[in-house]
Amino acid sequence: MSRLSKGDSGLKSTRESRREGRWFYFFISPWLIGFIAFALIPVLASLYYSFTEYDIIHTPEFIGFGNYNELFHDDLFWNSIKVTLKYTFISVPLTLILSLFFAILINQKIPFRGFLRTAMYFPSMISGVAMALLWFWVFNPQAGLFNYFLSWFGIDTINWFLDEKYAMWALIIMSFWGMGGGMLIFLAGLQGVPQSLLEAAKLDGAGRLRTFWNVTLPLISPVFLFQLIIGLIDSFQVFTQAYTITQGGPNYSTWFYVFNIYINAFKNFRYGYASAMSWILLLAVMAITFVIMKMSNRYVYYEGGRER
Amino acid sequence: MSELMIGQRQTPKRKKIKLDIPRIVGFIILIAVTIAMIMPLWFMLSTSLKTTKEMLAYPPSFIPEHFAWGNFKELFVNSEIKFGQQYKNSVIVAVLTVIGTVFSSSFVAFGFARYRAKLAPFLFMLLLSTLMLPYPAIMIPQFLLFTKLGLHDSLLPLVLPAFFASAYMVFLLKQFFSSLPNELYDAGRIDGCREFRLYWNLTLPLSGPVIATVAIFSFIWSWNDLLAPVLYLDSQENFTLPIGMAAMLSSKFRIAPWNLMMAASLLSVLPVVALFALAQRRFVQGIVLTGIK
Amino acid sequence: MNKKYGRLLLSVTLAFGLVATACSSKDSKNGAGETVTITHYTIDSPDRTFVEKLIPDFEKSHPNIKIKVTKAPYEQFDSKLQSSIAAGNSPDVTSHWGYGGFMEYYNKGMLMDMTPYLGDFSNSDYNIPDDVMNIYKVGDKTYGIPLNSYVTVMLYNKDLFDKAGLPYPPTDYEDKSWTFDKMVEYAKKMTVDSKNLAEAQYGVDFGFGERDQRPQYFNGNVYSDDTWTNGGKPSEINLTKPEVVDAYKKIYGLIWDQKVSPTPAFSKSVSGQFGDPFLSGKIAMSVVGSWSLAASSEFNFKVGVAAVPQGPNEKVRSVLYVDPLFILKDSKHPKEALEWIKYLIGTEIQEKSIELSGGNPPVNQKAAEKYYNNFEGIDPQQIEQVFEGAYKYGFESYNHLISNYSQINELFINELASVENGDKKVEDVLPVIQEKLTKLLGRVNK
Repeated sequence: MSRLSKGDSGLKSTRESRREGRWFYFFISPWLIGFIAFALIPVLASLYYSFTEYDIIHTPEFIGFGNYNELFHDDLFWNSIKVTLKYTFISVPLTLILSLFFAILINQKIPFRGFLRTAMYFPSMISGVAMALLWFWVFNPQAGLFNYFLSWFGIDTINWFLDEKYAMWALIIMSFWGMGGGMLIFLAGLQGVPQSLLEAAKLDGAGRLRTFWNVTLPLISPVFLFQLIIGLIDSFQVFTQAYTITQGGPNYSTWFYVFNIYINAFKNFRYGYASAMSWILLLAVMAITFVIMKMSNRYVYYEGGRER
Repeated sequence: MSELMIGQRQTPKRKKIKLDIPRIVGFIILIAVTIAMIMPLWFMLSTSLKTTKEMLAYPPSFIPEHFAWGNFKELFVNSEIKFGQQYKNSVIVAVLTVIGTVFSSSFVAFGFARYRAKLAPFLFMLLLSTLMLPYPAIMIPQFLLFTKLGLHDSLLPLVLPAFFASAYMVFLLKQFFSSLPNELYDAGRIDGCREFRLYWNLTLPLSGPVIATVAIFSFIWSWNDLLAPVLYLDSQENFTLPIGMAAMLSSKFRIAPWNLMMAASLLSVLPVVALFALAQRRFVQGIVLTGIK
Repeated sequence: MNKKYGRLLLSVTLAFGLVATACSSKDSKNGAGETVTITHYTIDSPDRTFVEKLIPDFEKSHPNIKIKVTKAPYEQFDSKLQSSIAAGNSPDVTSHWGYGGFMEYYNKGMLMDMTPYLGDFSNSDYNIPDDVMNIYKVGDKTYGIPLNSYVTVMLYNKDLFDKAGLPYPPTDYEDKSWTFDKMVEYAKKMTVDSKNLAEAQYGVDFGFGERDQRPQYFNGNVYSDDTWTNGGKPSEINLTKPEVVDAYKKIYGLIWDQKVSPTPAFSKSVSGQFGDPFLSGKIAMSVVGSWSLAASSEFNFKVGVAAVPQGPNEKVRSVLYVDPLFILKDSKHPKEALEWIKYLIGTEIQEKSIELSGGNPPVNQKAAEKYYNNFEGIDPQQIEQVFEGAYKYGFESYNHLISNYSQINELFINELASVENGDKKVEDVLPVIQEKLTKLLGRVNK
């Protein structure tokens, strides 16, 4: 690092590097402490609790694999997995594809480009509870906007969040509304595609689709991957919608995984049981990330391993 | 692009007539979807200004008959809602979170960017791996810990972790700090700068833009968070906005106050929109870098 | 508020200096001398927090006792209770005002056996009927002392009755002409089916008890009788028995066959997730807990009370909700806590509480007279008659008597949602609930 140390004796450079090491630990200490206190210990504690029956009032009682065994036979647990996966596998890919599609449309020389970009992005600023309340109201069966809109096409009242057949679809439609953020990310990726490559493809006589498929897509595949991982991890953790709008219902049709953890821990006071679920979530997230990373080595194009 | 190619082959006159159909169709789709995206926003705005009677009417009106500005006032004067108090709580939590995140994360990032140590690569990997750590996986022990410390129903558990650096932000800042030229530091050292001053007087002032990004996004993150506040906060006067607003759905109003809820939602997104308007470039960059939407 | 903010900053600073023990929020319980502080934990709503106004007088007459009130909204009530116990800040006095009922608290060992402290306490001194006092006894141990007793009543919207030209329903439970069928007949005349929420209106909202108790009105018992004697753990569930199935058919037939009751879509559109659509003025008759009466001064229509009509069950026409006060197991001063409880059930204070709370029904029968007089625009004698009938034909609410009730209730709410929405039939759903409930109870009551 510093030129001065280069010519010095080995002894001195050891001292130098020791000094550097001390500064290193000094500076990273907040994170290190935080990591131990708010990540490492909780993860281990949660592992321990997952083997106990614990209601916070009495001392934890060790029950071995009892919780895991019970989970295995718990319909609600399996249902929460089913619900979460259904949401994930429909909402995440569709949102990705839609945001890519609109990023491509906006990335052209069209009128009002800046305005359209902002207008498309704007809704994603309304997130969390504000968005949940808004869509609860938009999907109101009787006074809401959505059914009114459908009535123009002669479609009869749909009960959306009150109907177990539609509640999940309402949430999925709602998730499309937040695609603006993803669109911006893709837009940045698209703008990073060198114009020269595109022109070269044109000269070779490639059509728009071919160019997209063979040039653009590989170049933005890291962006795609990045969004996919974040999208998956996020959608494994859906909570706000279930808590605010549906309370997991009707008939458990929106009983998301994290909502199930929440109910078991903080409504039924079964912290051990809920901890077992937390651990399964943790493992699932790790596994998914690992698998995607592995797969990506094959399909994702990294331009000379360059970092942004 | 394609229009260039077409232009080269055809006479200028025919170029004007030749229409790029796919692009026009794309444009039309874009306009249609944009309108569809904006409609709920309009509905939100118009509902927030409707009277209770008009809000329930079918078909819904797009422009309120009489602007019920009183809805906004109602939020602050109705003692069952405590909106003002909750707004304040949210601001306190978000501002402290921003301060905590900015200083602790830049501090840590500086360490990772500037010093070598045997374990540094391993620790950095560890840091990156916590990016994937879902909050629900650790919330129970965290909750139990804070509860046993008697910190239940206070804003502290929401703020405290921010002072111990956020992995996302450390990563972001470290990338930036590493890109600063080494010569700068060597010069600083020769000037007799102590290590802490290298961080404080040299690095931080150079990092305005990236720090702005970190600040914006830790603000939004904290502002929208629902799960942690739901776990820790019990009394209405300690609620942050998200729980307070969710509670409006369940409190005992004669008629569900959709107009008030829409007004509350509008006011609650105001700070985010303001940040967007003030720092659009940082904002967009932050989205691209962090993937937080 | 500034103080809190300051404390927060201070704590953060401390914590940043790694002194994260945060002792600052521990309150000083051991004050000077023999003064003890009793914590009274309650729901954050005006009809509960009024107790704060009773404290000064109590403290004057009991100089060695200080009362501190802590509160949480209904949804957070149970979780805050548990967390405070866990943090060693257990309140001394509370009731089952959250989701969980007496049996849940009892089975978790959260309650203190008051018997040793009762001494010469006698419920008759406080005009509490014996059978009411017995609700919160297990064996010969007393775990709770009744404070308020709510019943199921029928509220009706006089304006809608007048508009339809119908006579008001009777208040006398012995008037056997007032039957379920008659109620439906009235309801039909007052229902306006419309897509426009501003115009739509329904005849009756039949909210008798929780979903699992509703069949009782129709002579169907969801749980086996041993439930009431063995600590709230049903040995048998009868959801597939014909009388229970028929009962549910009748209940949900009001929405989908007779079309005189609001759909969930209507109720939730008008009154949100947990609100009561009757308050919107769009429901003619509502069978509901008498706490709704406490809000009667805020109704923007004229309201009347009536007897719950005679149904197939000759004995049960009303659900009783007796709220007791408990002393929690971790209380360090049970004696003083009991003093506070006794103070709250005294005739004078019970009378005072009626007014301050907006109309909480006192358990003290002497104070009840005053209660009946509390509702403007409603004849006191009518209220008295309705309450007396309701006590006579009452059955204690299941949620106080059954163990792990919040989970059971959650199951009923979710599984019956599709029936309430008109998507599924009662006879298809009940066997599913039967199976799931059996499984659930097998799990939690082991």
